[in-house]
Amino acid sequence: MAVTVRRFLRHKVGMVALGVLLIVILAAIIVPPLWPYDYTDITPQLSQAPSVQHPMGTDTLGRDLFALVLRGMQQSLLIAFSVTIIACIIGVVLGVTAGYFGSFIDATVMRAVDLVLTLPTLALAAFLGSLVTGRGVSWLGLAMVLGSLMWTSVARLVRGVVLSLRELAFVDAARVMGASPTRIMFRHLVPNVSDHIVVAGTLMFGVAILAESSLSFLGFGVQPPDTSLGLLVANAQSAVLTRPWLFYFPGLLIITIVLSVNYVGEGLRDAFNPKSSPTNPLATTRRRSRNRKPQMRDAANHAVLKVTDLSVRFGPLEAVNSISLEIQPGEVVALVGESGSGKSLTGLSLVGLLPSSAVGTGSVVFAGEELSGLAFEQWRKYRGRRIAMILQDPSTTLNPVLTVGAQFEDSMKLDSGGVSRAEARRRAVELMESVAIKDAEARLDQYPHQLSGGMRQRIAIALAMVHDPDLIIADEPTTALDVTVQAHVMATLAVARERTGAAMLFITHDLALVAGIADRVAVMHQGVIVEESDVFSIFDNPQADYTKRLLSLAPRITGKAVEKP
Amino acid sequence: MLRLILRRLASAVLVLLLASIVIFTVISVSGDPLAELRDRQPPVPESVIAAEEARLGLNDPLPVRYLTWLSGVVTGNFGPSTIANRDIGAELGTRVGVTLRLVLLAIVLALVLSLIAGTVSALHQRRWPDLLMTPAAFVLLALPSFWLAVLLKQWGIGLNNLTGYQLFYTVGEASVPRPEGFALVADIGGHLVLPTIVLALVHFATWSRYQRTAVAEALAADHVRFAVLKGLTRRRIIRSYVVRPALIPIVTIVALDLPVVFSGAVITETVFQWRGMGGFLLESIALRDTNAVLAWLLVAATAVVVFNLLADILYGLVDPRVRYAKS
Repeated sequence: MAVTVRRFLRHKVGMVALGVLLIVILAAIIVPPLWPYDYTDITPQLSQAPSVQHPMGTDTLGRDLFALVLRGMQQSLLIAFSVTIIACIIGVVLGVTAGYFGSFIDATVMRAVDLVLTLPTLALAAFLGSLVTGRGVSWLGLAMVLGSLMWTSVARLVRGVVLSLRELAFVDAARVMGASPTRIMFRHLVPNVSDHIVVAGTLMFGVAILAESSLSFLGFGVQPPDTSLGLLVANAQSAVLTRPWLFYFPGLLIITIVLSVNYVGEGLRDAFNPKSSPTNPLATTRRRSRNRKPQMRDAANHAVLKVTDLSVRFGPLEAVNSISLEIQPGEVVALVGESGSGKSLTGLSLVGLLPSSAVGTGSVVFAGEELSGLAFEQWRKYRGRRIAMILQDPSTTLNPVLTVGAQFEDSMKLDSGGVSRAEARRRAVELMESVAIKDAEARLDQYPHQLSGGMRQRIAIALAMVHDPDLIIADEPTTALDVTVQAHVMATLAVARERTGAAMLFITHDLALVAGIADRVAVMHQGVIVEESDVFSIFDNPQADYTKRLLSLAPRITGKAVEKP
Repeated sequence: MLRLILRRLASAVLVLLLASIVIFTVISVSGDPLAELRDRQPPVPESVIAAEEARLGLNDPLPVRYLTWLSGVVTGNFGPSTIANRDIGAELGTRVGVTLRLVLLAIVLALVLSLIAGTVSALHQRRWPDLLMTPAAFVLLALPSFWLAVLLKQWGIGLNNLTGYQLFYTVGEASVPRPEGFALVADIGGHLVLPTIVLALVHFATWSRYQRTAVAEALAADHVRFAVLKGLTRRRIIRSYVVRPALIPIVTIVALDLPVVFSGAVITETVFQWRGMGGFLLESIALRDTNAVLAWLLVAATAVVVFNLLADILYGLVDPRVRYAKS
């Protein structure tokens, strides 16, 4: 909670908006008793432009506009506040009940939500509003009408969160300890949704102000002689050109209030749920400092990839700390480490896709050419053609709205022109058969969601093989798959490597996988490579303490690896 | 695909039936169409009130009244009006078209603009077009549509007076008397300009924000990163890997927002003095003509349900996951 408050305090726009909102609310409460004119007072000065005496001018009846606006603000704020409270209470109660009990109750509540969402609320509110105000019922009646039509967004939100919380251990624990459903719902579940409710409630306050003033504008809200901001605008309709103050002051005030409410809501949302900085793989990473070292093109060094002093920093935090790595043609190097060790960041910085909040330094030389600091178009000479990458989660790496065939075709037509569609299909089938996909022809016309996870990952591997790359970077390619499928994918990777003759950087946390495929292993811990040697030495004779610990955690696997020929 | 459409159609009819029950109950229970008659001074004779009650069928129990009303609606008869000679169905019929052309044009305009603005904004997050468009959308979100409508209308009048030419039409949905042939089309088009701008701008604000979020999320998706790693051109990635998947959420949002568009149309039409559905609704409310209000709500609900149906079908076209959904 304290963290959230601090985050909000640092949110500049949100704080300014909150300040404006507080000033407006305070003015509406404090100023009217002190102001010399009441909103009902009629002065002899008719239709006067703003002056010292009447800072907002007077209307056609000689009433002081400032006093009227203050009264209008009181009404609008009071009604909007009550609407928000009523709508939130209805929404929370229905939402939490629906989410907690599920089945029939849930279905009923959700149907009710659908129904309310089908109706233009303004029409119903105008009808009901005309009834309550016609009988002289004041702001409360109006607030109840609007509140009973605006609860749906809160109900949906709360239901969604409660549905996801319902199965969690703390709810079960409370149930086992004999807590009643009511108690579980309101003591255990609602507090967990409170941040969402606060944000939704704030934004609803703005919507409520707009709804109330629209209703008053149409004549079905607040009735004269009382007034509201909407009513003031309605009365000034024909005065825009002749007595502009009557129209602009109330209107601009509504805009100011709603705008600051929305910005406060935005600030709260950011405070509860900090946004990560935007990801845009299409943008060129500009912040990558270009302290290129003089390139040493010594003929003796044929390394496919030579990484020197690579560091990745998030502000003051050093995620990757000056690592160096070399991969020879056709060699398989495994980069092993626990999550958070910086191994995936290393992989991403090799292909120029660091998140925009990260700063990378150091040199990455691929086949004798420096890669750091390239622009998007320059990168395209390497990506896909000479360096291919396979990502962790096959359920998200393929485009959900394109057929598999179209995605192969995209890869093959990197330059305009290129291969014909028939040729692309023929090659795609060939590649898919090489990674042991049956019915390849039929698969081409399917969408990713129709395929299994293992199959998708093998297609991703086949896509990586399209241009016979010199280097394949595989970032945890089997982690998201279950164990039986893992073996297939590993076999496929081996096939891909053999057919293309590519070198491979295999990033994983799983030492067992490394034993079968790698020539050399680099162990990474807290951003540093703690040990690097050939695969047999790592298992037989680990040097670094961290490697030993890793091995001791998986004794069975070590034994197996030793037995390997 | 056909099965999907049929299934959606069935559920649409069900929703509509439920909506009719709810609307009927709420309106009948809360509003007394004869309140004005009863309050009249000097008092109206009991016999007159009783006759009115009988004519409007107020003496039957609620379920019976609902069934009578429903069977009438199915045959196009929306029930008796409190005004003796008012034919609700016929009058509403002439007005639906007027409102529909405003609503449809505004939706198309707002949708196209917000698709462009939202996408551009998301592709340049926290850089210049976005730094301008994000606050602009926030201001538009805070703008009351009635205020904007009055502002544009009066500015239009001011401009007309200033130049001495009829640059903007500010009153009604067409000139009186109506011109003939092609001139009528141009005339109607001219009258549409300002109201459409108002209605479109208000929704442009919301929808462009949603589109911005959708594109920003799509950009962060793995499949975009994979496409970049495949070495595709920027154009190809943006078109097929970023924007196409991001079209799915916006279709839903627009369909869900339709009742709000109708509410906005009521306000816009009122300000510009159109003889559309908005005017019809407000008159009927003022006259306590409950059957007319009911008819209005039913027509609006039907429009919303039909649009949602269209959105569902569109959804199937955009998203293969829906098209091939099981069950």
